[in-house]
Amino acid sequence: MADNKNNYAVHVRDVSKTFGVGATAVPALKGVNFDAREGELLMIVGPSGCGKTTLLSAIAGTLQFDTGEIDVFGSALQKMSKNENSAFRRQNIGFIFQEFHLIPTLNAVENVSVPLLINGVSRAVAERKAHALLAQVGLEGRGHESPLNLSGGQQQRVAIARALVHEPRLIICDEPTSALDKENGARIMELLRQVARAPGRCVVVVTHDNRIFHHADRMTEMEDGRVARVAEINGGHSSSFIPN
Amino acid sequence: MYHIALKMLLGNRSKYIVLVSGITFATLLMTQQSAIFCGLMLWTTGSLQNMRAKVWVTDPKVEQVNEVRQLRDTDVGRVRSVEGTAWAVPLFWGLQQAKLADGRFKQIQLVGLESATLVGRPYRMVAGRIEDVRLPNAVVIDELAIVRLSAGRPKPIGLGDTFEINDREARVVGICRTAKSFFGMPYIFTTYDQALQFAPKTRKMLSFILAEPAEGWTAEATAVAITRATGLRAYTEKNFFWATIRWYFVNTGIPMSFGITILLGFAVGVAVSGQTFYTFVLENLRHLGALKAMGASDGLLARMLILQAFTVGLIGYGLGIGLTSLFGALGLEKGEPPFMLPYQVPLGALAVVLFICVFAALLGIRQIRKLEPAIVFRG
Repeated sequence: MADNKNNYAVHVRDVSKTFGVGATAVPALKGVNFDAREGELLMIVGPSGCGKTTLLSAIAGTLQFDTGEIDVFGSALQKMSKNENSAFRRQNIGFIFQEFHLIPTLNAVENVSVPLLINGVSRAVAERKAHALLAQVGLEGRGHESPLNLSGGQQQRVAIARALVHEPRLIICDEPTSALDKENGARIMELLRQVARAPGRCVVVVTHDNRIFHHADRMTEMEDGRVARVAEINGGHSSSFIPN
Repeated sequence: MYHIALKMLLGNRSKYIVLVSGITFATLLMTQQSAIFCGLMLWTTGSLQNMRAKVWVTDPKVEQVNEVRQLRDTDVGRVRSVEGTAWAVPLFWGLQQAKLADGRFKQIQLVGLESATLVGRPYRMVAGRIEDVRLPNAVVIDELAIVRLSAGRPKPIGLGDTFEINDREARVVGICRTAKSFFGMPYIFTTYDQALQFAPKTRKMLSFILAEPAEGWTAEATAVAITRATGLRAYTEKNFFWATIRWYFVNTGIPMSFGITILLGFAVGVAVSGQTFYTFVLENLRHLGALKAMGASDGLLARMLILQAFTVGLIGYGLGIGLTSLFGALGLEKGEPPFMLPYQVPLGALAVVLFICVFAALLGIRQIRKLEPAIVFRG
């Protein structure tokens, strides 16, 4: 593992990824350079098909990229075996998916406890922590509800609790507010900002939703498989996009 | 994670029921048909179970117990003279016609026992005494005969009643319990001498010779000695049993027809359960992808699938065996259809069910190995 010298949570250098081969080859990432710092909420924005989700998958370690380097908290993903990659994800990364991906046959507590169970934590401990996390996201007393009985906002809060329960350092969010109304979206983003502020953590959000842009510390805009601009939003250093 | 796997399985109620039903039906079909087949095969050796002799001596060409080729009366003396034989007695065994009170005829299995010893007597008397069979024209009938020979009578045939065997009067002096014969005919016991009177005359009338090994001799050794010394064929009870079973295997279509049904049960199990489990995995693919993205290893997910497959398999197997046993219990109460469930049948069915589970789980595991965790980021 490399040292995390510059307080970078995520350090991406010259990353390329092409889907398909020959005439049907589609380059999704074309030498992307990009960083996310510890303690910040960074948004990746851009039009559909620009490579946002591919980049997010690569950072999360769920997609193998063709060339380049990605370091997450000092660990080089490209040097990891499949098993090391799985182990790294289960310990260090929390996921919030666009479609929540809560398991409908499990109740909220069981859904939230899944990352701890994957990490080998006992069921009793995992469910105790899950109850506590659900309380933190405002779902106290709803732990035994099926996700099917919860509203979209409540389901997303369960998903956030699941992403945080094992105290990961990097939280990956794919369109976390796309299924929510403005009010619920704002509440979720406020929660994610608080998470990002915790020491040694970072939240990376891919979104189309311009209603939540102001919650970001920085924004990275992608175009055609490349990072086009980076802008400081909160923290006030600059409000303009910085060319890559 | 294993309780999560079980909740994922049990929570999908319709798939779970189809999966369990598929295995239950396959187990039922396989074990019930196998049990009927075993029962039927046991029926073919009904005479062996009823006579219980250690050594059976037959014509050299006889291959199974339901096949009779008469011996000479003098052969009894020849067998008695063989070293290693404690004693030997004649046995008459033949299909005869009994006339019912309403004038109809029924086939019966007439057994003539040596009158001094009554060797080969029925193992359980329900009414009367077997010794009374020595009285003139006396017969002991089995319980099936009460059903078969009572037509046209105001009440079921019983002690003291008479009927005709080949135009000769037979008087019932006892009722016994017997193992059923393959041909489904009632057993009628009498003495050897009286059996020769009931049966139409032929040049040779002796069906079998029943022998007992001398002290210090095994049945096998005595059988070998008799065969060698007389040129007749001597079987031990066990060898005759398996020779009979083997004969029906080779010379009838029974194993083939039962085998096809058993194979169908297996095919239904594989097709229904394998395919349903595969669909179950496909439906859960996005959830499994999410677990994989969260860091669940292929090994963990494979173990979860194996647990799900085996849970369904063992529950279905248990229900299937339960239904087969219920069917057997009901059948045994009435005496038919034939039913025997040796431990090898449920054991074999368990092996087949486990194979189905492994097959179903492997289909799912193959999907999981191919599954990219990045699937969860696609809309």
